[in-house]
Amino acid sequence: MSPECVCKVLAQNTPQIFLYSMLKLSLFEGGQKPTVFVSVPLNANELLLRTEGRKISKLLDNYVHSNRSQTKMERLKKKYQHVDNISECSVANPSVWDTQKVYKHHEQQNVAQTRAKYREGRRQRAVKVYTINLESRFLLVQGVPAIGVMAELVQLFALYGVVEEYRALDEYPAEQFTEVYLFQFQKLTSARIAKRRTDEKSFFGGQLHVCYAPEYETVEETRQKLQDRRRYVNRASQNTAKQYYQQPEVSTESSSTDTRASAAPEIQKDFASARRENVKSDYLGFPEQPLAPTEDVSYRLPNFTQPFQLQWSTKTTLPTEDKMGSLHNSIPPVPETSKQSASSSSSSVKERDLSKRQENLSRPVRFMPRITHLESRKRKLEETVFFLNETETLIGPKLPELPKVDMEDHSLNVTANLIRQTMTKVTSVPEVKPVQVKTTTPKPRRRI
Amino acid sequence: MARKNQFSVSDRFEFLQGLVTEFQDTDSDESKEQVLANLANFAYDASNVESLRMLQVTDLFLDMLTEENDNFVEFGIGGLCNLSMERESRDQILQNGGVPLVISCLSSNRDETVLSAITTLMNLTTAASRAETTDSAVVQCMLRFSLTQNPRLRNLASVFLQDYCTREQVDRAREGIQGQSQSVVGIPLPKD
Repeated sequence: MSPECVCKVLAQNTPQIFLYSMLKLSLFEGGQKPTVFVSVPLNANELLLRTEGRKISKLLDNYVHSNRSQTKMERLKKKYQHVDNISECSVANPSVWDTQKVYKHHEQQNVAQTRAKYREGRRQRAVKVYTINLESRFLLVQGVPAIGVMAELVQLFALYGVVEEYRALDEYPAEQFTEVYLFQFQKLTSARIAKRRTDEKSFFGGQLHVCYAPEYETVEETRQKLQDRRRYVNRASQNTAKQYYQQPEVSTESSSTDTRASAAPEIQKDFASARRENVKSDYLGFPEQPLAPTEDVSYRLPNFTQPFQLQWSTKTTLPTEDKMGSLHNSIPPVPETSKQSASSSSSSVKERDLSKRQENLSRPVRFMPRITHLESRKRKLEETVFFLNETETLIGPKLPELPKVDMEDHSLNVTANLIRQTMTKVTSVPEVKPVQVKTTTPKPRRRI
Repeated sequence: MARKNQFSVSDRFEFLQGLVTEFQDTDSDESKEQVLANLANFAYDASNVESLRMLQVTDLFLDMLTEENDNFVEFGIGGLCNLSMERESRDQILQNGGVPLVISCLSSNRDETVLSAITTLMNLTTAASRAETTDSAVVQCMLRFSLTQNPRLRNLASVFLQDYCTREQVDRAREGIQGQSQSVVGIPLPKD
């Protein structure tokens, strides 16, 4: 490369290449000390550097020191000791250097010793931030003892996911008697798990140091990685946002119904507070008596969060109310203060309620551990959220709905939901087709 | 990350709040760095994004971009890179004037900072902000990055140019660079 070409290259590249090129230039001149006036467009800012041959080594010094750890430098110095002109740099054999750079993110940093107790994890860790740029399907594994254990190493990594490719990196600067391998996983998640599980673990007497190697990705792979990540984050955050807003805002939702409801606000509040208590104690399986009259009123109010509240209250073994909110079918006698004539509820619905209620009460009370209870609650919330999203624009009083009874069993619930959905589909048919009366014309018979 | 699901949303919120409080109250730079890195790593997990947004951590990260301490900048932009993947956080960053601050990170001498800045810019590019994030100076910068030897930088810059810039923008930027290099390089190049 002629000096002119080198200078052209300088105009386009980052400091690393600039310094390397400068060095080549000085070598090229064979001892002469060219004064080079070079401008290196460093990112958005132009950087002007004036150097002389002598000063090149100083620049390299600073560069090398800031980017390499001491031990690696010693190693590299020893490797390229035969090169005299260069004082301390490791850029002697350009072709080797170009293909095998030891990046900063490959290095193992020291763990932080001074963390506050409350934020200390189980393992000591270094202070490092992981972004999607750093993570990759490619893992670099260093510190593998050079005793012919490649097959076992591959088996170890294959535990965490499909390994598309693996190879030994002979050119990579490695500690004596160790080997360095590169693994390419099919999925980023597998690579992540593999790294977490194998980093710092002992393997046939040596300690593995595993890190990501995103520099082996192609442009397309990088693009795909970013897109996948974005899609995943948006999907995951939507799910968690729903959960987050459903849990603490259950009470606020009930209070927000005040604006829509025409009933006295305090009834709503009573309902909300009673419901909260209800939720806490309903696993005992006893119906909440004070709850009944207030629920009675609220259910008649045009309110699209109604189904949600209904779901919330009819948790496990409560006697269920029909749409009109009256509990007159329930077995424990409840003072029916404002019982409405159940004009809309058909007899079949009542019967169903009755049978379900009897079923609920006759079933032995199951003691559910709290965590299971919370999980089942979460599951139901997800179901109702789905429902809520669909009925957002509903205005006006809703048609009497089938009461949503919790069957206390997931498969039964699924079946019940399916039946309910079918029922809504059937009832949503706009007009009732006139029953076709079969007018049979008398078939002409032959009189024998 | 799987272990975190044991904590309820409110517990997590309280813990993150504790971190933010420590960051604001402590004088030790070392503690600040540790907490900042913690927050940035928590921002990687999608289930924390909501809490972090409520705690105004996006502003905290943005403030870090103008600090002198290079670690603060690196962790701050890393946190923004993680947060900006999510739609609402992205909007919050845009509303708080994040684009110029992120662009200024492109000229850092730390690889990770620059890489995070490029990814953050990609995430922040919406129909409304496109003019700002694909400004001619930015496109020129990306063009230079796409020619370097550093493969990560080269890949990211290429994705940016291919997916977020129009052909005209790239061509214009290329012309701009050529014009600049001829005027600034002091060595008289031979005409052949």
